Amino acid sequence: MRFSVGDSVRVKLDDPPYHTRVPRYVRGRRGVVTEYQGDYPLPDTVVLTKGADRTTQPLYGVCFPAEELWGTGQLTTDGPFEVSVDLWESYLEPLDARL
Amino acid sequence: MRINDVGGLQGFGPVEVGEPEEQFHYEWEARVFALVRTLLRSMGVTLDEFRDAIERMPPAEYLNSSYYERWLAGLCTLLTERGLVRPEELT
Amino acid sequence: MTGEHHDSDSATAARVKRVEAAVIAAGLTTEAELDALLEVVATKASPRNGARVVARAWVDRSFAEAVLADANAAIEELGLSMEAGPQVRLKAVANSESVHNVVVCTLCSCYPVGLLGPPPTWYKEPAYRSRVVREPRAVLAQFGTHLPPQTEIRVWDSSAETRYLVIPRRPEGSDGLDEDELAGSVTRNGLIGTGIL
Repeated sequence: MRFSVGDSVRVKLDDPPYHTRVPRYVRGRRGVVTEYQGDYPLPDTVVLTKGADRTTQPLYGVCFPAEELWGTGQLTTDGPFEVSVDLWESYLEPLDARL
Repeated sequence: MRINDVGGLQGFGPVEVGEPEEQFHYEWEARVFALVRTLLRSMGVTLDEFRDAIERMPPAEYLNSSYYERWLAGLCTLLTERGLVRPEELT
Repeated sequence: MTGEHHDSDSATAARVKRVEAAVIAAGLTTEAELDALLEVVATKASPRNGARVVARAWVDRSFAEAVLADANAAIEELGLSMEAGPQVRLKAVANSESVHNVVVCTLCSCYPVGLLGPPPTWYKEPAYRSRVVREPRAVLAQFGTHLPPQTEIRVWDSSAETRYLVIPRRPEGSDGLDEDELAGSVTRNGLIGTGIL
């Protein structure tokens, strides 16, 4: 298992031409791992192999502050908020992975 | 990025809070529900593949479809791609 | 949304009849099988289940802790479960004075159907899905839910295998109510987080 609760991560920028479960609004964004949810088959692979490959990998809850997603303007109009997204391990990289 | 991936997109207008509550607004929606439930199982199709089929709807069609119309489109895509039914039988 | 589809409904209904005929002719199913699926006794899934979980969490502190730690296990104490197929993972998130939770599935319409029954139409449509992760306070206001400016909103995008249940705050002045009455005060929108209760 690559990540632990409390780790800072960045969502990979990869935007594949196939089914994936990364919402566009978190691509490239920095978040904090808040939960390890268990191991589940990666949907991208399940669809690419028509259900044949259901190898599991860790799934995490990752929390993003509003300003990380939308800039600071949103805070003044909407008050403080954060968005938690559930993301598979291969969607994530450690925060300092890229310079 | 596919058309179903709408988080953060603008311009959809207000949430229609007062929509009718029942699961099926029309009889055909219940038939679509039954068709999808039954056929996904008999075709051996995963939920992920069903979602993928819906996501591949042309964007304009996706945005102009109601929820069960999207189910119907996804189902028909799967049926024709797997050669189970000819496209002209599903129009 | 439904109003806009009036003209297309009879066309869609006719198309569905043709689709049904085609798959039956192809031997993929039978009319009896389809009818039987629709006639199956309604599942026990409904927002009343979620309301019972909330009421028990309000009156029983150890249950409240248990449901936050492992919701799937805790709801079994009430004879409840996430029906249909392998256990779907449930996570309960509690509102507090400083945090208000609200749930969405921006990518499609994932929802704790096994416990609560089907989601409302608005939950499955792009207007809610697009906006609640970007302007949650404005969306909540549309539901008549107005939070103090300092309350933090936590939006849960059910993008994977976990389904979320919001535990609203117990209303003030409810000390005299028993568990059933408390459950009766919890609404489906409160369990999604668009409502306060």
